[in-house]
Amino acid sequence: MGIQNPDELNEPNEATGGRAETDVEARVGLSYTFGQLKKDPTAWVGFVIIGTVSVVAVIAFVDQTFLHYWLADHLWVDPVRDTSAPSLLKPPFVSNQGTWNHVLGTDTRGRDVLVRLFYGARIAIEVGFLSTVVGLVGGTAAGAVAGFYGGWIDDVLMRAVETLYAIPFLVLVIAFMTAFGRTLVFAMIGVGIISIPTFARLIRSRVVSVREEGYIEAARAAGVRDRNIILRHVIPNSFAPVLVQATLQIGIAILLVAGLSFLGFGAQPPTPSWGQILSNARNAILVNPWFSFWPGLAILVTVMGFNILGDGLRDALDPRIQN
Amino acid sequence: MSLARYVVSRILQSIPVLLGVATITFFLTHSIPGNPVKIMLGPSPSAAQAHAIEAKYGLNQPVYVQYGKYLWNLAHLDMGQSIHYQTSVTTKIAQRLPVTLVLLVSAFALALVVAIPLGVLSAQRRNRPTDHVSRVTSLVGVSTPDFWIGLILITAFAFYLGWLPATGLVMPWADPANVEHASDRLGVVVQYLRHVIMPAITLGTLQMAAVTRIERSSMLEVLSQDYVKLARAYGVRERTILRRHAFKNAQLPVITIIGLQLTAALGGAVLTETVFSIHGMGRLIITAVQNQDYPLIMGTTLYFALMFVVGVIITDVSYAYIDPRVSYGEEST
Repeated sequence: MGIQNPDELNEPNEATGGRAETDVEARVGLSYTFGQLKKDPTAWVGFVIIGTVSVVAVIAFVDQTFLHYWLADHLWVDPVRDTSAPSLLKPPFVSNQGTWNHVLGTDTRGRDVLVRLFYGARIAIEVGFLSTVVGLVGGTAAGAVAGFYGGWIDDVLMRAVETLYAIPFLVLVIAFMTAFGRTLVFAMIGVGIISIPTFARLIRSRVVSVREEGYIEAARAAGVRDRNIILRHVIPNSFAPVLVQATLQIGIAILLVAGLSFLGFGAQPPTPSWGQILSNARNAILVNPWFSFWPGLAILVTVMGFNILGDGLRDALDPRIQN
Repeated sequence: MSLARYVVSRILQSIPVLLGVATITFFLTHSIPGNPVKIMLGPSPSAAQAHAIEAKYGLNQPVYVQYGKYLWNLAHLDMGQSIHYQTSVTTKIAQRLPVTLVLLVSAFALALVVAIPLGVLSAQRRNRPTDHVSRVTSLVGVSTPDFWIGLILITAFAFYLGWLPATGLVMPWADPANVEHASDRLGVVVQYLRHVIMPAITLGTLQMAAVTRIERSSMLEVLSQDYVKLARAYGVRERTILRRHAFKNAQLPVITIIGLQLTAALGGAVLTETVFSIHGMGRLIITAVQNQDYPLIMGTTLYFALMFVVGVIITDVSYAYIDPRVSYGEEST
């Protein structure tokens, strides 16, 4: 290390300013990515799906937390407490016995399926985002430290991460939840933890190449502490592929938590999570086969939204696509 | 290094991983709240009974002693006694493992048979209707919850049409005398196919979609290579280019993705076995968790990791076998 030539300091300082002068650097920038994304009609489909589900989730959240089901009580039927149960397992409106009062029919306790799906959206979105944040923070920290320092720190961290990866996701979360508790919070943390290896590997591979850049060396020479170099320079410059993975991971997390809830590890009844509604529907499949159709469709559409957006982001970030 | 030595070194490399897995599962299972003794003897066992059981399974010793003993026994391939089933964990797993393996192999076979031609076709007819259909199909495939596919299939083909059985799995090597509606070997195989088709679709859809996507992009990449352009310039027919020049080279990323998909597939097996009431490893781990059967939870988790590690070794080795550029041994970072 050390600076032989004062010119070396100038060049990297510009690069760290965010807008770099070369073409390749500019393609990694976030504003450039979103510019590309706006031109992609398929990515808009993803945006619309995610936007719609998120709005539903926010309404459900506000109604549950602040209004104590005021909206549901006055405009509709209560998704949790409704036990008047006039008609159990009613089919949807398209069927002969269906009614417009329960558009998608009713469940095993006579609760409206559509309302329950509505409130399930809140859980899906919450779980998807929060567990991805857990994985993102944990994986970024592990990957950045391992890639930046190298040597034995790298070896120990990456071996630990590999070990975590060797246990199939669902099995690991089941073991984790058995140990700590079968609630939605632990499902979220568990799913977050199992996504750490993916993020750690991704960010490490980026960091290893970023580490060698001139501006990092310059920052070191200028006496910037390692922690600040990692946080201010290394991570922001390694972030683009992580963003793609995070978008896809939200979809994966929603699928995994639905699977866990289906097995009885996750939201406990009467909380209306999509996976738990499906598991409920499974027991009633002979009486009302329609019942199992809706929650699955909700999961499919939501996860597809995140996958479409993730694919769009990947295309926007890949310079080869533009040719 | 020769291929044989490469295989051996890959196996040796996986030992620390499995040791790590054993450690993780041991400490996870031991932080489970609740007491397996109570589960076995009911809510209020007598002190003497409880003592006897604790002594029998070593539950009264300090955790580090139990951990040391566990590893020592593991090194002797002894995974202890299942508390719930009252048999050795190894015996129980030996009964269940083949079921899950048959399910996995069937699902992957189905997935590859569909995905590889679909991916190639999609790349060949890029941006034409076939390509669009295949891309939408694989997008839906990676976004669908697998257990939901199972429920829909059961509703349609078992309940409404009555064509296929809704539950269970018949092993293709089962004794005809023990299989319903089968009098000879052929009958057993037919029963196996009738039973396996829905679970295989359930478990295989995600793998199919993932492989189709990677096959398509990998073929597109190879087809834009210079040697393919050269072959075209020489007037080699497109079909020949596809078969002789492009296909084999495009399979390397596909093999990698199959290895990585294995962890999703093993998790999917737990769900698929639940939906179709198949008594494999997936049901076993759920039962073990429900009964707080420590040794069985640890054993099944370890075997799930083992299936994954073996699967990855197989993909690594076939990768090295197909691609002559891969040098065995030297780790590249």
